[in-house]
Amino acid sequence: MPGLDIGYMVGLVPVILGYVPLTLAMASAAMVFALVLASLLAVERVARVPLLDRLVVLFISFFRGTPLLVQLFLFYYGLPQVLPVLTRIDGVTAAILGLTLHFAAYMAESIRAAIVSVDRSQMEAAQSVGMTQRQAMQRIILPQAARVAAPTLVNYFIDMLKATSLAFTLGVTEMMGAAQKEAAGSFLYFEAFLVVAMIYWIMVEVLSNGQKALETYLDRAYAR
Amino acid sequence: MTNILRAAILAGIVAISAPAVEAEEAVLSVGMSGGYFPFTFVRQDVLQGFEVDVMNAVGEVADLEIQFETMTFSGLVGALDAGRIDTIANQITITPEREAKFAFTQPYVIDGAQVVTRRGNDAIAGVDDLRGKIVAVNLGSNFEQLLRDLPFADEVEIRTYESNIEQDTALGRVDAFVMDRVSSAQVIEQSPLPLQLAGPPFSEIRNALPFRDDKEGRALRDKVDAALTTLRENGTLSEISKKWFGSDITKPSAE
Repeated sequence: MPGLDIGYMVGLVPVILGYVPLTLAMASAAMVFALVLASLLAVERVARVPLLDRLVVLFISFFRGTPLLVQLFLFYYGLPQVLPVLTRIDGVTAAILGLTLHFAAYMAESIRAAIVSVDRSQMEAAQSVGMTQRQAMQRIILPQAARVAAPTLVNYFIDMLKATSLAFTLGVTEMMGAAQKEAAGSFLYFEAFLVVAMIYWIMVEVLSNGQKALETYLDRAYAR
Repeated sequence: MTNILRAAILAGIVAISAPAVEAEEAVLSVGMSGGYFPFTFVRQDVLQGFEVDVMNAVGEVADLEIQFETMTFSGLVGALDAGRIDTIANQITITPEREAKFAFTQPYVIDGAQVVTRRGNDAIAGVDDLRGKIVAVNLGSNFEQLLRDLPFADEVEIRTYESNIEQDTALGRVDAFVMDRVSSAQVIEQSPLPLQLAGPPFSEIRNALPFRDDKEGRALRDKVDAALTTLRENGTLSEISKKWFGSDITKPSAE
């Protein structure tokens, strides 16, 4: 096996790093939107509003039931044929939209499970001391649910961060797209893909440390 | 009071419409994969290659601002169809199917389809030896269609790829790949991959720029086509070709 072209790899690092802000921006925007949407969906799933519940079930079923890549292609290349206005949505927006809808469906289930995991008796106890349902939810149930949901939500964010690599299929040159193009020009595939893999890995490691800090913070009431 | 209001509104309209008018200063959005050496590729984050030079020259002659959009090869036609880009500069070969759907300029590259194998694989000396073999082609490329049109097509196992056909052939996962002759020769010469040309080119291909077949698309096509004629006549096309390929691939060869 011929040796690695170290000089090429070193030269590639700043090129790929230049795309880190775009990757982080897409993943972060999608995460914020997905958290909001997922919370609404989860609360609805717990409350089971008639009729609306059916729509939510359908939404979750579709976005969990089809691959993200299929959804992205459907929004970006498919829908504009039916609604020409959608041509105006650029690749970055389409990627954020796709990631949001896709991951919101998963995160809704995760948040719902976390809410349900807090024993019903706590709601009754809170109400027995005079709290309204809303107060009980905000002060007693949700802080505990957040603690349960946090690790899985961070997991989804990590997954989302890596899923941004699919945006290249929508014409967005992000980290993977940049590596792919550099590899196609230099034919140094191993070097190019190794560099991009290491950078993703380091980013996720940093996030994992953030996760530990977040868990410690949410666990503070339970610390002994 | 009303005068001030009117002035403010007028100023607002001017402020809004001024950049809008400027933006309309004919932009030609050109799609390419950015991963097809040496036609369109990236080195140290700089998009370059034969197609990039040709389109920049076209932009200069036709007074169009060229905007490059890179995306996976198989997504390009969809993007053109959906109006996300105005044309594709990625060695697009004129085929009857594509001609029925798109308005093409004159051909600006005339080339041949080429079989390429791993270095040392002398069992394949041309297209006829592909019987019973596994052959890689780029998804959505005309080379895929060329292979399917072979009289013995049912005996060839065709594998379609988004990218990296050169690498899979070098690794021995497939027996050969089929691409155009000039890029194949360039890849063999300039890449570290162990590859060799297998026999002579087997089919003439003519590359041109496709535009949407509507009023706007055809108008753009005519503008770009006129620019190509100018570039051909003043020798720019042949100059760009020599820069990237060492020969003139923009005219029918004498061989």
